[in-house]
Amino acid sequence: MTWRPDNRLALENDGSRVDVRDKVTGAARYTTDYYPEGLLWASYIRCPYGKAFLRSSKLEAARAAPGVVEVELEKQEGTYPGDRLGHICAESRQALEQGLAALALEFERDRPATDIEREKKPLETFDEDPSVQEKQADLERIFSEAAHTLERTYQTQVQTHSCLEPHNSLVDYRGDHATARQSTQATFSVRNELTEVLGLPPDKVEMHCEHVGGGFGSKFGLSPEGQLAGKLSKKHGRPVRVLMNREEEHLDNGLRPGSLQYMKLAIGPDGKLLGGRIHTWGSVGPVGGGGGTSNPSRYNFGIVAKTHQDVNLNSGFPRAMRAPGHPQGMFAVEMMMDELAEAAGMDPLEFRRLNETSDVRRAMLDVGAEQIGWHRRKPSGTWEGPLKRGFGIGVADWGNSPGEATITIHVYPNGNVEVLSGSQDIGTGFRTLLVDCVAHQLGIDRARVEAKVGVSTYPPGPGSGGSVTSRFVAPKALGAAEQARQDLRQRVAREWGVPADEVAAENGVFKHADRTMSWNEACKLIGQDRLTVTEKENGIFWKEQTGSEAVQFVEVEVDVETGIVRVKKVVALQNVGQAVNRKTVENQITGGVIQWISFALFEDRILNRQTGAMVNPNLEFYKIAGSRDIPEIVPIIWQSRPDAGVNSLGEPPVVPTPGAVGCAVANAIGVPVRRMPITPWRVLSALAERDGGAV
Amino acid sequence: MKQKQSRPGETGFSRRGFLKGVGGAVGAAAVVSRVLEAPGLARADEITREGIRRVPAEGLEITLHVNGEERPVTVRPDQTLLEVLREQLGLTGTKEICDRGACGGCTVLLDGRSINSCLMLAVDAAGHEVRTVEGLVQDGRLDPVQQAFVDSDACQCGYCIPGFVVRSRALLDEFPNATPQQIRDGLAGNICRCAAYARIFEAVQTAAAGGNG
Repeated sequence: MTWRPDNRLALENDGSRVDVRDKVTGAARYTTDYYPEGLLWASYIRCPYGKAFLRSSKLEAARAAPGVVEVELEKQEGTYPGDRLGHICAESRQALEQGLAALALEFERDRPATDIEREKKPLETFDEDPSVQEKQADLERIFSEAAHTLERTYQTQVQTHSCLEPHNSLVDYRGDHATARQSTQATFSVRNELTEVLGLPPDKVEMHCEHVGGGFGSKFGLSPEGQLAGKLSKKHGRPVRVLMNREEEHLDNGLRPGSLQYMKLAIGPDGKLLGGRIHTWGSVGPVGGGGGTSNPSRYNFGIVAKTHQDVNLNSGFPRAMRAPGHPQGMFAVEMMMDELAEAAGMDPLEFRRLNETSDVRRAMLDVGAEQIGWHRRKPSGTWEGPLKRGFGIGVADWGNSPGEATITIHVYPNGNVEVLSGSQDIGTGFRTLLVDCVAHQLGIDRARVEAKVGVSTYPPGPGSGGSVTSRFVAPKALGAAEQARQDLRQRVAREWGVPADEVAAENGVFKHADRTMSWNEACKLIGQDRLTVTEKENGIFWKEQTGSEAVQFVEVEVDVETGIVRVKKVVALQNVGQAVNRKTVENQITGGVIQWISFALFEDRILNRQTGAMVNPNLEFYKIAGSRDIPEIVPIIWQSRPDAGVNSLGEPPVVPTPGAVGCAVANAIGVPVRRMPITPWRVLSALAERDGGAV
Repeated sequence: MKQKQSRPGETGFSRRGFLKGVGGAVGAAAVVSRVLEAPGLARADEITREGIRRVPAEGLEITLHVNGEERPVTVRPDQTLLEVLREQLGLTGTKEICDRGACGGCTVLLDGRSINSCLMLAVDAAGHEVRTVEGLVQDGRLDPVQQAFVDSDACQCGYCIPGFVVRSRALLDEFPNATPQQIRDGLAGNICRCAAYARIFEAVQTAAAGGNG
């Protein structure tokens, strides 16, 4: 196992992302930034309450409002705040707002289900489950042999994606063809679903998403915005925009479900986990599921009987959010690990080493402990004074299976290169990955390579989910570049009249004996408009995969007089196999850490228990970590294998953070706060409860 | 550049008090005198006794000074500066994210000071120098702040970045040698959901140390 701060490709490619200039000058155009002639605006008519029946509306008044094109109500009953009851379409955004106001909706409210604790089935219900029954004898044995058994329940809140570019779609149907723009993580799935709405074949619908202002899992498929824009554009023969406002973003565009996680775990006299009983509840929408958690996972838990219930609430539906199920599951797991270590009188680091399933992570634990200064950690609750320091650990990993993608490269006689993929750059640096892979394999300057992405007429590629984009696409980009390099090498060999295998092609220069030819000269040998190469196989560029292991160490300072938690430092070790570009990799690691510090400490979707309406559907009371909340973060790009493939990065760095923050807080104040977000009030409550009082 | 004290009775628009509340970025007295001198605006019959000027619902032709150019536009009284910049002038670098002053995505410079353009009516911007993220580029050369953002890879999805760039420009104009703490405090009104903060801080610090253009 070697640890180097960077690895080969990443060291070569230390450039900034290739589209950063467009992003800092405002030249990068997102879906929201197009205002075509004849644009119509449309939006959904929504139920503001959790459970309500539409009693009256002034449909004709709304239709008569200036600039309003159509208003339709399709249903009367709303089952979550933001539920879509109908739609309105108008000549301008102002007309849209005035039409909605004129509609004067009046509802009869019913009592909504808003609270997972109140709505869930009791734990005992699930003990009857066959999966529990068949382990009953084992569990009884484990609990009787255990040196320590702990029974704990942890709770995590609902987090909304809060993409800064709202969900929005712009469809322009022109009879025999259509052009669409949508802020999406999956160019091709939007195109495909749109063909059904528009009744056009795939080759007649061109989808664009050259720049996407964040997705985090919430922008897959055509989605309500694209459904409505498509339907109305076809009906009116004009371009139609559906643009969610900030409130709609929170209400009806996905969320990370909340969770309650019960754990009863036993450890033996040696400190090894023996197993136990785990049940989790996930808070989901009014129907359907999607509230699962990754608990237990990562550590060697022994024999565990696990059951789960999705609890239907009158609230918005979950959508995949950056490592769905994982950060909340690992919050409970890490907190429990620390509580068990405490019970056994063991150092949490030692306890984790003992119960770790991965040799890679065990090595990362050693390096991380040294980097954070784990020796500075004091036993929980022993720090003097009102400002208390605490340290915590979180871990993760991610799968790295192969998948399909196609890459096309054009090499022009002037030596410039284009690399094309229809997949989208949602801010991760996908363009940059393509450019750096191709430039590396051709041995030329990255400035000579341009990436064109996010258009459905470009070669097919994956949606940006499951952290697959880089891993699916990089081998094909490298392979296509290699084919182009070999093609040019043969042209040079023909030109010189020597065997191709005697011509060296390195660093963009072709050599044979004492002859050399530059990249530009070689490209002039291309005998047609351009040299085009397409690759869809992994070939030799599918290297041995890693587990995308992640380990994070967090240091916090907690003021026990105010309850305020400040994260001071995070050491984030991340195995990505072959890192392609240092800056984008580090940026994504640190960004993930901050996003999930934000989850651990601040973010909370709050529902009014009487009405079911969301109390904080905005960016001032739905608090997201900002510039004053950012700790020192040390991203460490780990290399566990010298010749690993390009592995997952998007999701694993966000998984360990909330658990590590929670453990650090517990270490600082001497009592665990078992419910996120870890707000000042919860810190003070936990302290007061320990001291036998109440806040 | 800016007159800070307001003269009671002369301050003009109905959103005057509101604007003053937005961080004192706009000298209220200056607003009035400049607006009244602005072409297409000085129609005495529309000035009430209290100095509150009416703008016809169907719109008023005004001239905005944006990025060094005079741009005639017809604006309705309910249109924000943000909407007019984006929809009428094609300056889509300025982004709408929260639409209520909580995120900084729509930050532009007004007479050199940063404001949230979603909180300013377009009619109120007449007579002022507006500069957007596009206007920080001079003769194809990036502003030193923009160059520092490029060098530090200070973005991910980039949707918030124009706001951060413009706010950072204003911050460094105010504190040319900004300390790390001043940078953090000065950017507290901007949100980056991808959380590229480490890179953003580095960029602004570099721009500060680099002589600030």
